[in-house]
Amino acid sequence: MADSMPIPLPPRTPTPPPDEPTSLQSLPILEPDTPLDSNSLSPLHIEQREQMASSYFSPTTPDRPGPNANGAGPFNFQPATLAKSPVIKSNIGQRRGHKYKHSSVSHQIFLEPPPRAPLALPNSLPIPTFAECRASMTKDQNIRFYWSICHMAVAGYAAWNAHGSAAMEALSHLIFYDSLGALLCVFVEVLSNFEVWGRSSLRHPFGLQRMEVVAGFALSVLLIFFGFDLISHNAKHALEGIGHEPHHPHSHERVSPGTVDLTVILALVSTLISAVGLQNHARIGKAMRFAAMENLPSLLSNPSHFLTLSCSATILLLPLLSLHTYEWVDKVLSMSIALSMLFLGVHLGRNVGAMLLMSLPSKSESVAQVVKAIEAEPSVRSVDQAKFWQAHYGMGMANLRLRVVGPEEQLVKLRERIASMIRNHLSGGYGQGSTGQKWEVSIQFKVEIESAFSASHNHLVSGPGWTTS
Amino acid sequence: MNRLPPVDTGVHRLTHVSPAPSLDISGDQYIAKRRDTNVKAYPGRPTFQRSFSKPTQLLLQSTENYSLLHGILADDDSRRIFYFMILNLCFMVVQSTYGVLTGSLGLISDSIHMFFDCVALLVGVCAAVMSKWPPSIKFPYGYGKIDTLAGLGNGIFLMLISIEIVYEAIERLFSGADVSRTMELLVVSTIGLVVNLVGIFAFHGAHGHGHGDHGHDHDHNHGNHGHSHDHDHDHDHDHDHKHGHGHSEAETPLTASASPVKGKKAASGHHHGGENMQGIYLHIMADALGSVAVVGSTVLVRLTGWSGFDPLASCIIAVLIFASTIPLVTSTTKILLLSLNSDIEYNLRGILSGVAEIRGVAGYTVPKFWLEDIKKEPGHHHGHSHSHGHDHGHNHGHSHKDSDGTACSGGAEDPTVVGVIHVIAAQTADLEDVRQRVDMYLRSRKMDVVIQMEREGENRCWCGGGLKS
Repeated sequence: MADSMPIPLPPRTPTPPPDEPTSLQSLPILEPDTPLDSNSLSPLHIEQREQMASSYFSPTTPDRPGPNANGAGPFNFQPATLAKSPVIKSNIGQRRGHKYKHSSVSHQIFLEPPPRAPLALPNSLPIPTFAECRASMTKDQNIRFYWSICHMAVAGYAAWNAHGSAAMEALSHLIFYDSLGALLCVFVEVLSNFEVWGRSSLRHPFGLQRMEVVAGFALSVLLIFFGFDLISHNAKHALEGIGHEPHHPHSHERVSPGTVDLTVILALVSTLISAVGLQNHARIGKAMRFAAMENLPSLLSNPSHFLTLSCSATILLLPLLSLHTYEWVDKVLSMSIALSMLFLGVHLGRNVGAMLLMSLPSKSESVAQVVKAIEAEPSVRSVDQAKFWQAHYGMGMANLRLRVVGPEEQLVKLRERIASMIRNHLSGGYGQGSTGQKWEVSIQFKVEIESAFSASHNHLVSGPGWTTS
Repeated sequence: MNRLPPVDTGVHRLTHVSPAPSLDISGDQYIAKRRDTNVKAYPGRPTFQRSFSKPTQLLLQSTENYSLLHGILADDDSRRIFYFMILNLCFMVVQSTYGVLTGSLGLISDSIHMFFDCVALLVGVCAAVMSKWPPSIKFPYGYGKIDTLAGLGNGIFLMLISIEIVYEAIERLFSGADVSRTMELLVVSTIGLVVNLVGIFAFHGAHGHGHGDHGHDHDHNHGNHGHSHDHDHDHDHDHDHKHGHGHSEAETPLTASASPVKGKKAASGHHHGGENMQGIYLHIMADALGSVAVVGSTVLVRLTGWSGFDPLASCIIAVLIFASTIPLVTSTTKILLLSLNSDIEYNLRGILSGVAEIRGVAGYTVPKFWLEDIKKEPGHHHGHSHSHGHDHGHNHGHSHKDSDGTACSGGAEDPTVVGVIHVIAAQTADLEDVRQRVDMYLRSRKMDVVIQMEREGENRCWCGGGLKS
């Protein structure tokens, strides 16, 4: 619309390219000589804007004429422009040399981009190196780091003293898993000292926070691996008896109760400290909930802690049994630990993997309800696309494309209604508003002309088309 | 050893199935297919039907009712894995029965190990098939990343295995090696090596598609290097392909995922199914290397009488496995983080600054873009389920064309960039008009973006946009 009106063309300074600035195809990004410094704040972008001869102003520029200097024709300023900003590319960001905002005609016609628009381009954030991480650690984080090393040492101690007892071996695996979870927590905390972790940039649209999800997946693979490992060890030991003669003559000696007690108590204490102090599995635990364990007290409702604590408590009771039952219970316990590790690992892997596959693992069943509710909104004609997914533990994304009718104010209200509905239904339940994840809801409206047919809110329910991208 | 026949038939069947004609031809086929479109795919079809061997065809017919199994058998890659898995299973059954009958611990533990290999293969096969499932409400972006996820899982598993190998080697060093029945161990691991070599060669064809004759005379010891060769070659191949295609889209504006500098594909390293196959290949290679280590160390121990060779060989192998897994894990992690590489970031910066230039656009907030990863029936699958694959792609294209008139000329070569952006329109602009133009602008650059429109000064969205400053 603005293009069609007679506009006195702004004066051509020697620098700008001759193309029409507002046409869509004139994207000068292909210019090979425009340098891209990924660390500076989007220089390319600003240069582009410099070249747009149509719509500039910078209210903070001190040497500009007063806003009412309309009497002065634009051409008077040209030499001044050239003189004051001899090399435009050198003083990027100062936005000199655009004196035409209030010159007579263009003032009304061209839409002014706000001065902060170029800042909206996310600048790329540097990924911290190891040394930077080390330097950024606070005292608290240091303590946590050393504690998780201690936790790992406890796991090693348990493994070292596990000779003969299969259950102890299994427990040491569990403790090792816990300690890795603690270590992961520390890493997450240290990395969240840096901006690149949480802030979205073009390069990392969700920050590095998805790294935690990947690490969670790695932990679940570790659990599966441990489960397999324990099963194969047990199977070997079991088959040893069937075979000719046992290879290891020491295999059935009993560990002295004292060592077992000490190890198990160490394990219990370190698990509790990690669980309370570090909350090592809390964030992963949020991603998966077992309905059966919801009612347990907070610490035990996390399956990982539940497993470790219950197993170590059982092992603590083992020395009370007679030798024969001891062997038997030991094997059964180890086997059940292995199986539950496998189960937990598979479950965790499925949940976290679904998150990595850009799905919504925790609340997948209520998505359909939400979509139905959106479809039932009076001004929504149809839902073209509804994508709900979880970017990482703390954030959900909802990308919707709707065909709607109605005036703009109504649509803004509709947008807010849908956003709050999504937040209410999909983030973590009602009782835990703060722990639930953040939702970034983006809704694209395709406004349709309201016809007589559709005015009666007789919106056609779209078929499965909304799943297509 | 009278139980060898089943293994033998397995080998026979496998070689039968993957004839690996001459690799140059298969490379040609591959290119022809990927330049797919309806014209080219037809001549490719008969060659493909011919390459199904008798047992395959029989199996294909008999499994029509079981979609998952049928899907496994229909695809070239997954069929190879599947047959290799069956071979592995047969070998495992033979080994374990023989082991139980003779009471040999080495045989039993080796067959347990083989079972885990089979599980890993099964996961890989399932991932290869599932990656082609269409998007659903639960998985709004499809299952395309499950390939990558399986590759990551396999890589982490291998890393853990290599750590465990070192751990066990140290343990053996302390407890003293068990030197009984070395002859049996030698025989078993030699057969295992043969089986795994068959797997490696079967995968060589599948893994390095269009690559020439180098690499086939690689010894397993150099399998590592051979592999990295493959990888590079795949990249080259992609570039060639892109070059061939370049003419048709010389006129269209630069797509978001195309590389601005050279003819190379910016999203290279993203080839279809690469990670999954690489993970499985590495797994088989690791097994083969393990067998080599056992054979070599046993022979050396016999010759020299020094039992230290065994842990030494184990450690070397573990380090080799670990090192070869690192690139797989890092590349899959990068993809799963939804990070973009610098080329795409560069393009996006240009495109975003173009968005700001669009008339009526006052600014934008929270731009988030990532690569779509929907596997539309990859090229070499084309022959078999041609109609299905094409339908899929066609629908996809249509959803683009419906909303605006732009011709979406793209084929399968550049992955679509999907994402979200909130565009802030100026006070006077018409929201729907601005949205359509932004949409058109982005679509012409192969971006499928959900555009939420906001009014300047409105400031009612979570993104903080529209704040008039």
